[in-house]
Amino acid sequence: MKKLNSIIAAFLIMVWMPTMGQTQKGSVLIKNATVLTVTQGTLEDTDVLVENGIIKKIGKGLSANNVTIIDAKGKYVMPGIIDAHSHVALDAVNEATAPITSEVQMADVVDPYDIGLYRSLAGGVTISHAMHGSANAIGGQNITLKHRYGTFNPEDLFMKDAPRTIKFALGENPTRVHGRGKNIQPRTRMGVEAVIRNGFNEALQYKKVWETYNNALKQKDATPIPPKYDERLQTLVDILDGKVIIHCHSYRADEIYALINTCRDFGITNIVFSHVNEGFKVAPELAEYTMGASVFADWWAYKFEVYYSTAYNAAILTENNVITSINSDSGELIRHLYHEAAKTQRYGQLSDDQALALITINPAKQLGIADKVGSIEEGKQADLVIFEGHPLSVYAIPQMTFVDGVKYFDINDDQDDMRLRVSANETVEPIFLKEHDHNCMHGVDFFFNNFGRSLFQHSH
Amino acid sequence: MKISTKIKLLSSVIVAAFFIANSQVQAQSDPSGNRRVTSSYAIKNATITTAPGNTIKGATILFKDGLIQAVGTNVNIPVGTDVINGDSLFIYPGFIDGASTSGVSRPAEPERPSNFDSSNPTDEQAGITPWRSVLDYLDMGNNAISDWRKVGFTVAQSIPDGGMISGKSAIVVFGSGESTNVLAQNTALSARFRGSRGMYPGTPLGVMAKFRDVYKNAELSSTHTRLFASNTGLNRPEINKTYQAMFPVLDKNIPVIFDVSNDLELRRALRLQKELGFKIILSGVTEVENVINEIKAANATILLALTLPEDKTKAKDDATDEYIARTARVKEAYEKALKQAAILEKEGIKFGFTTTGAKAGDMMKNIKIMMDNGLSENAALAALTVNNAQNLGIQKFAGTLEKGKLANMVVMTAPIFTEDAQVKHVIADGYVYDYEVKPKRAANGNGNRNGGNPSGASALAGTWEYVSDTPAGSSGGLMKIEGSGSNLKGTITFDDPTGNGTAQADMKDIKLVDGNLSFTFDVSAGGMDLNVDVKGDITDDKFTGRMSLGNFGSFPLNATKKPNNSNF
Repeated sequence: MKKLNSIIAAFLIMVWMPTMGQTQKGSVLIKNATVLTVTQGTLEDTDVLVENGIIKKIGKGLSANNVTIIDAKGKYVMPGIIDAHSHVALDAVNEATAPITSEVQMADVVDPYDIGLYRSLAGGVTISHAMHGSANAIGGQNITLKHRYGTFNPEDLFMKDAPRTIKFALGENPTRVHGRGKNIQPRTRMGVEAVIRNGFNEALQYKKVWETYNNALKQKDATPIPPKYDERLQTLVDILDGKVIIHCHSYRADEIYALINTCRDFGITNIVFSHVNEGFKVAPELAEYTMGASVFADWWAYKFEVYYSTAYNAAILTENNVITSINSDSGELIRHLYHEAAKTQRYGQLSDDQALALITINPAKQLGIADKVGSIEEGKQADLVIFEGHPLSVYAIPQMTFVDGVKYFDINDDQDDMRLRVSANETVEPIFLKEHDHNCMHGVDFFFNNFGRSLFQHSH
Repeated sequence: MKISTKIKLLSSVIVAAFFIANSQVQAQSDPSGNRRVTSSYAIKNATITTAPGNTIKGATILFKDGLIQAVGTNVNIPVGTDVINGDSLFIYPGFIDGASTSGVSRPAEPERPSNFDSSNPTDEQAGITPWRSVLDYLDMGNNAISDWRKVGFTVAQSIPDGGMISGKSAIVVFGSGESTNVLAQNTALSARFRGSRGMYPGTPLGVMAKFRDVYKNAELSSTHTRLFASNTGLNRPEINKTYQAMFPVLDKNIPVIFDVSNDLELRRALRLQKELGFKIILSGVTEVENVINEIKAANATILLALTLPEDKTKAKDDATDEYIARTARVKEAYEKALKQAAILEKEGIKFGFTTTGAKAGDMMKNIKIMMDNGLSENAALAALTVNNAQNLGIQKFAGTLEKGKLANMVVMTAPIFTEDAQVKHVIADGYVYDYEVKPKRAANGNGNRNGGNPSGASALAGTWEYVSDTPAGSSGGLMKIEGSGSNLKGTITFDDPTGNGTAQADMKDIKLVDGNLSFTFDVSAGGMDLNVDVKGDITDDKFTGRMSLGNFGSFPLNATKKPNNSNF
């Protein structure tokens, strides 16, 4: 028994070894599949050739030498699912101590050992947007992760060619944490708007101070005094300069419209609204002035500001030309986003391509990576999922998941224990309140860890 | 401004205290009888390991006034030297602790004003106090220090407690109370990923961002100060003690010593190092195998923790196949943890040890486990001596036993790391500390030294009355123990730390081996959970031992068994 286990362990280590160190790129030829390209229709009985992590060719009767060939006859191939709102693989989620924390970076706290990465791969998700929580009006800078599960180095998970993004939050969460919790601004929705506007105005002043200094440096024999450095304001400057995409936690139409106006005042066009339960009321405005809305399929009523909701939200937004995606915001829901997308066919009769776009090309657009991923096209990165059954069917079961052409999930090689790291201190691993243990004084964290959320309440 | 006055006040109190202490020592007569007769010693005819891998048999070491005068087989012992017979003794360089928290108290948190803004606290409130010196919070008389000296430590880099940037460390020698014992101060800047309670920065997210902020603004402040010094017509720089205290780090005169609890924190520290470029020491390191390349690339100094996990999967007689299968990876993780020291050696990384978080009583046991798992004896000794001398930059006068080095050494009854080795003397700063050497236990495992009633588990069961002496006074309570063999259970009562009568806790991990009793229990005090570790010897109905309270040190705990009612 013991021997068998060490053999299994040794085997596991061998399987994962190649993914250590530099991020790996794979080559593979998938034959005879029904290819759901999302952007270029459905191609029956088609082959997809991947070379060195890139989709090289899509067509019939393709061949290649020295490449793994997978016969996918009767199966479906779709682009890797992209989750535009997730907190999987993060050691900390909320720096809930100030209304603006644009200086903090989720890239600093990525946990590559999180089994949630593997679970999401088993649900066909290849990219997640690891976000700061919604405690602050302006939260931290997010990081877009490619699910290269198996590495010990957090940086191997970073999608380095994705643009910078940042978390904003409106409504009950920031007002509860700061206003009611600490008696500082913002206490109301008006306060949230004021915090954001003041932040941008300060950022403009900050930008000017540094411009003046840098111009003075260019003068001969000048001895200008350096101003104070402030990463918080510098990040807001970068937002104003169009270098960072805002992803804003929001529910109500009035606050969504208010932030659209704030952004228009400051010339910001890179903004995506998250959750957006009342988005259907401001769909034309979202279509015209934003990069879209990332919604739940049918989550609602978990707090007061989420009562006015409809399961038709995604369909209404889609039909109004809003770039729309469906996100998980949960370590559980991330495992079946294809089901969440399928709900829009029951509530709104979206077409297959429209529904699939909600979890592929549309979130890719919202993360600024649609030129690289989100559809099956020659030249794009080979993030692919092979499904048994059509992914929008309730019978759909993901079979294999590839990131950059490397297979990270295979239902036929799905060991009971896929943890990368096991603690020597616990024979039974504690499964809950992890964050709570680390930061017991920061109660707010608890509601943003996946378990606390699923167990007690939805706190999005 | 307010703070520095306080420090001044504090230091003048310390100075006054020393003055009083010294004046007693320097008085003509010595009514206490504590003054030593001579400061000149020789240990004769011993086996001396002057440095890892270099051992001289039948050698003599002569030291005077804390300095080694001679080491070798041909040493003249001058008149007036206190000669210790070293026959059958083994001498090693005194151990050097790369990072110690022993005897260091945590500065009180400043009071929060009524209009306190948790989003924008002062540096001091937020745990950013690089200007602090550990020396203002270090009690060299603390029991924790004598505990570590007792197992062979003579020099330590003392690390200030506090928040994310707690202050400057100092290197001290565990010598006599007549000296300040300071070898060097402001030797490193101490940092950790510890957020502040209920204020910014509260999580590792905020700590990382705030560290960058402090560092970069210190750089700008330094630039401003330099410009102001060499030009006229400029606005004056704002003198900020946080930034000023960072200057030695910016200039790479001192390293940042980052306390890291796992490999993810280790990577975070290296991420900051890579961005900002400071010199770095990683302390409390436990997991290295996945970060070897990164450690090498950063040229980071490694202080390995002396702690090891417990073997939670130790073979149980009644272990089912299901249990063995389920815990196979836990076992693997445990075995991996034991190999980390050996991995560092194999990779050629000259690591040292840190005692932070470790217990003095477990040190030798843990090092032996590391050696069973591939660490060589020379590397183990080096990690305790020369490597840390190098890591702390004190190799000129410490780390080995040579003429001209400080008289810091440990004298053992058998070769170090062997089963029988016990510490007989520790010489720190030329002062000789003697320790009781216990006679060897009977090898046949009967374990009953005194031939009295068998002190097996059955005799353990019953009610014991104990007394323990701590600096806070004497306290006591009852230990009630039931069961036998490996199935011992018990409770212990103690004075409730909150000051309300008596509290009770379960005794955990009760073990009785060869008349040696050990157990632990948890005490909750003021929102803090304290793990108390008790170890000692049982002879008939008497227990003589010590209880250790984590970093607070260890204190005597003695107990007597009450007559067993059931016997009447």
